[in-house]
Amino acid sequence: MAHESSFLQELKQRGVSRRQFMHFCSVMAAAMALPGTAAAQIAQALQKKQKPVLFWLEFQDCCGNTESFLRASSPSVASIVLDVLSVDYHETIMAAAGKQAEEALAKSAADHKGQYIVIVEGSIPTGENGAYCTVGGKAAIDIAREICGGAVATIAMGTCAAYGGLPAAAPNPTGALGVADAVPGVKNLINLSACPANAENLTALIVYYLTFNQIPPLDAYGRPMFAYGVTIHDNCERRAHFDDSQYVEKWGDEAHRAGYCLYRMGCKGPVTHQNCPVVRWNEGTNWPIGCGHPCIGCAEPDFWDKMTPFYRHLEGVPGFNVQSNLDLVGLTAAAGVTGAFLAHGAVSFVRHKKESRERKETGALEDVRETDQKPPAASKKVNGGE
Amino acid sequence: MSVLGVPGTMPKCELTRVYVWELPVRLAHWGVALSLFVLAATGLYIAHPIAILPASFRDTYSMGWVRTIHLYAATVFGISVVARIAWMFMGNRYSHWDKFIPMRRKRWAGLGPTLRFYLFALRKPPGFVGHNPLAGLAYTAIFVLYILQMLSGFALYSAMANIHSPFHHLGFLASLFGGLQTAKWSHHVVMWLLLGFVGHHVYSSVLMSTVEANGTVESMFSGYKFVPPEDLVYSGYLFKERREMHALSQQAGNSGSR
Repeated sequence: MAHESSFLQELKQRGVSRRQFMHFCSVMAAAMALPGTAAAQIAQALQKKQKPVLFWLEFQDCCGNTESFLRASSPSVASIVLDVLSVDYHETIMAAAGKQAEEALAKSAADHKGQYIVIVEGSIPTGENGAYCTVGGKAAIDIAREICGGAVATIAMGTCAAYGGLPAAAPNPTGALGVADAVPGVKNLINLSACPANAENLTALIVYYLTFNQIPPLDAYGRPMFAYGVTIHDNCERRAHFDDSQYVEKWGDEAHRAGYCLYRMGCKGPVTHQNCPVVRWNEGTNWPIGCGHPCIGCAEPDFWDKMTPFYRHLEGVPGFNVQSNLDLVGLTAAAGVTGAFLAHGAVSFVRHKKESRERKETGALEDVRETDQKPPAASKKVNGGE
Repeated sequence: MSVLGVPGTMPKCELTRVYVWELPVRLAHWGVALSLFVLAATGLYIAHPIAILPASFRDTYSMGWVRTIHLYAATVFGISVVARIAWMFMGNRYSHWDKFIPMRRKRWAGLGPTLRFYLFALRKPPGFVGHNPLAGLAYTAIFVLYILQMLSGFALYSAMANIHSPFHHLGFLASLFGGLQTAKWSHHVVMWLLLGFVGHHVYSSVLMSTVEANGTVESMFSGYKFVPPEDLVYSGYLFKERREMHALSQQAGNSGSR
């Protein structure tokens, strides 16, 4: 074709057919919870777009999100979407290093001010003036302020960048924060939480942005609704086992081998919002619950503190260092209250007996009421007066 | 109303029948009481389900049903609590909100003697007709727990509610608790606190019923309590006729010199 776009030519060179490309667009439409007709719109947008500039910043991270996105088992169409973008800075994959790399970032950021997209990976330490994480002698928080401040949109990739993640877990020695807290006021910030964030969701998010030129609807924690709108539990393939009370009770027991519900093994699926059961991981190969491990709730803020212990679905009472003590404490407290009142009743009973014996002796009226004194002698007069 | 009656014939029966708990109060009370038991029982099952594994027990939908019952009981609970709170501003003096939060001097001053009664320092509690001030204060805390429980309940329900349900939009409640998991934890802890309260409540109502001998327990069915006229005076409720009655009893030299 004479008028074939450079994008399609690029795809052809990579061995991706037009059919495969259209299939990818339909998958993206589905991932974004859009009708199938949106696929054409997506295809059009992807072909026409000028390459937006993208910086990928890494702070207190383990590189897991990069790994998750780049280590596809075979070059997929999705990985090409990353090529739709001009990735000007990514410490893990770029050729430049040291001073050159930092200069390139500064120059590119200045050149494309207000137009580029930033992906942040890892949390931002704020303790000791940000000395816990520096790149090229610059504190992470200063880099984030500078680069995210000039971006058209920022994607906090992974739970560390979104909410602080592992570095921010108690006692949070480095004062780590997510992008939203460390650099308040960042424009168009999208939290793509999970540990790591699902590559499919990043692809869908970028495609959404390229197609509609705006960020998708977000939930209360700043996450795209299309990926975080429903709990794991509600889409879980093992949900029927939950409703039928068919639970795994021990690792490797019959129920575990039969693929029953992992609720009693501490599954946080009911309290975690993610589309793992639908998109799965590693190009749809499988996902944690699918291979017999309960959800640990990695997409939720502060999951290291709040979702632990991972293999119990209710945590204990703070200050008591036994893991499953919540019911023990509750039961003891309830029994204690009841016991205390029963003891009160026993004392009351004994006193009552004693008093009625005294009354019989003195002939005092039983009905005499007092608030703060012994029965007044005058009470005898009541009878006498009538 | 009064059985003050003919002097001389029934010297000890100087009790007045007072309509204390109106029907909405009683309905709300039993609504909360019954639903609370159902909620605690089903809630404990939801927290610690029993695995039903034999193949012959497939498709029981047991957890599904337990959760369904829990949700319907929660509806009864929520409506009862909200109705009772509304009645605090609509009902009679005994159900009024200021019987829960001690605002008047009289009720503030009644806290100490009531506590001293519970600690055996007094032999009879100060005569309040409705809630005594200490009980009122305790119920304030209980209402706070009720509301907390409803908020965490709605937070948890929002996550599973149909996307078209209005309750689906209550997801923001979870962030008040610091996330769904913490809301779930709070829901569980507050259940235990409320169960502890049930033990206390049943005991003290029986105790009060015994020492005051005024039909406290029965009043939650009938609405009526039988109180000595001086309690009406003590509580500061001097209706005209009661005032007259009190004067009459004093004329008769019938105690009540408070």
